Amino acid sequence: MKVLERAWRATKADLRLHVLSVFSVAVAFVCLAAALLVVVNIDAVRQRWEQSGRASVYLRSDATSQQVEKVRAALSATPGVGGVRFVSSEEARREVLGASNDDVLTALPPEAFPASLEFELQDDAASERIAQLSEQLRALPYVEAVETYEAWGERLKSLLSGGVSAALLLLGVVLLAVISVVSSTMRMALQRRSAEVEVLKMVGATDGYVRGPFVVEGAMQGAVGAAAAVGILGCIHVIIRSSFDGALGTLLGASPSFLPWTACVALVLLGAIIGAATAAVSLRQPLVGETCS
Amino acid sequence: MNSGLPDGSCGPDGGHPAQESPPGGFRPLLRGSQRFDPSAAHRDILVFDDVHKAYREDVPVLKGLSLEIARGEFVFITGSSGAGKSTLLRLIYAAERADQGRILFLGRDVSRLAPSSVPFLRRNIGVVFQDFKLVPNWTVSQNVAVSLEVLGVAPKVVRQRVGEALDRVGLAGRGRDRAANLSGGERQRIAIARAIVAEPALLLADEPTGNLDPQLAVDILGLFEDIHETGVTVLFATHDRSLLDVRPRRVVVLDEGRATDIRHGLNDDAAVERLKVA
Repeated sequence: MKVLERAWRATKADLRLHVLSVFSVAVAFVCLAAALLVVVNIDAVRQRWEQSGRASVYLRSDATSQQVEKVRAALSATPGVGGVRFVSSEEARREVLGASNDDVLTALPPEAFPASLEFELQDDAASERIAQLSEQLRALPYVEAVETYEAWGERLKSLLSGGVSAALLLLGVVLLAVISVVSSTMRMALQRRSAEVEVLKMVGATDGYVRGPFVVEGAMQGAVGAAAAVGILGCIHVIIRSSFDGALGTLLGASPSFLPWTACVALVLLGAIIGAATAAVSLRQPLVGETCS
Repeated sequence: MNSGLPDGSCGPDGGHPAQESPPGGFRPLLRGSQRFDPSAAHRDILVFDDVHKAYREDVPVLKGLSLEIARGEFVFITGSSGAGKSTLLRLIYAAERADQGRILFLGRDVSRLAPSSVPFLRRNIGVVFQDFKLVPNWTVSQNVAVSLEVLGVAPKVVRQRVGEALDRVGLAGRGRDRAANLSGGERQRIAIARAIVAEPALLLADEPTGNLDPQLAVDILGLFEDIHETGVTVLFATHDRSLLDVRPRRVVVLDEGRATDIRHGLNDDAAVERLKVA
């Protein structure tokens, strides 16, 4: 009988134990997958902001319309710069306040919402020139400030490295959790199937033959647990996305995305490998000691 | 016999340099450079040579036991409880190691086998226990088929041979039943079918009738005798004197760690008298 068939037969016979094990593995993997999801989304926002090459030129309140038009024309004529748009103080106020009835925001003075020129850098070469362009714009007397959002990119990078560290730490915790769960399950399964193991050894089965189905079961528990975790997280992601998509998109400049399929496959493979390795190692000694009596 | 058989190899008693056997394999000894050794057929299948075994230092179970079993013999092993019947059988299939002495099965000393070779030894030996040692949640067929599955026999052949084995033990048509749902006598028949389905050279029975009523015990003994008729060597350990009286078979009595051989069964009055005197 093939090892997969033997493993399936054993799983069916002890379904409850296997389901509990898969559930425990799934809980551990949800933590890891959630951390990865956060990292993936922070990275997406960072990349979006870095690549978007947006910039805002805040104008002094005393800037005349001729001066504004001059800057606008100069920007529009600059290679790689496009979508130059004038946002008046009133428009800025409207954009920020939106439909909000927040008393604090509505009480802000007009100076809190300066008029600006918003523009986009349309290619990578232009993005690289943003610092130089900012310097030139700041030198103009009727320009208050230039915001290139680089600082936000740096902050997101820092947040991202923190997220990666947290994910690595969680990976360690998940490894320990999965090893512990699968190892306990395998030892329990071995105990429950001691009669079967005894019979197998009596009729001349090698340790590898006896261990085979247990290793497959360990791999299945790890893989199914990880797949269940990805599925659970996917459901949560869909719920959150459907509820907050618009607001999050406006706030972050990017829509929340799910783990790439390669990461999902890698998680399932990781689960399978840890499960199989744990089962193989945890049954090494018990099987050597097992003899028919 | 099913597996672990050589194309040709040699050992200490063969007088030829031993041929290399695959790592982890149990290889009975034959003369080198020959695919078939005619003299092997006349050699004893099992030889105990001055075997000592003790679980506790001060309580030896076997004290210099020497015994030869020829191919195709049916031998009763008897003795009181704790005399060492089960130990003797466990030494043969390497569930125990002898402290001293040699146990030659098909010319190879099983007491010195590497652990990785033990499974290959066991593929040549069928064992039947008093408590059946079945997997209760498996079907009858699954319990029998396991002996062939570990050998990697094709499923179609497994089905055919399991059917034949169940037919031989009188359980034809019961293959789909759960082992747990069968009676004691039927369970013992499953265990016997499992032991013989791979056509072993040697069949060991460790008190196989101990849990059965007297009539069933005689039936089971008859079954072992039928199997023996096909050329299988049988060692039948029992303390049930009534079974020994049924047939004039060779009886080995274990007492105080030594074996007394009664060649023609307990109907050999002279031999029994000698045993009583001893």
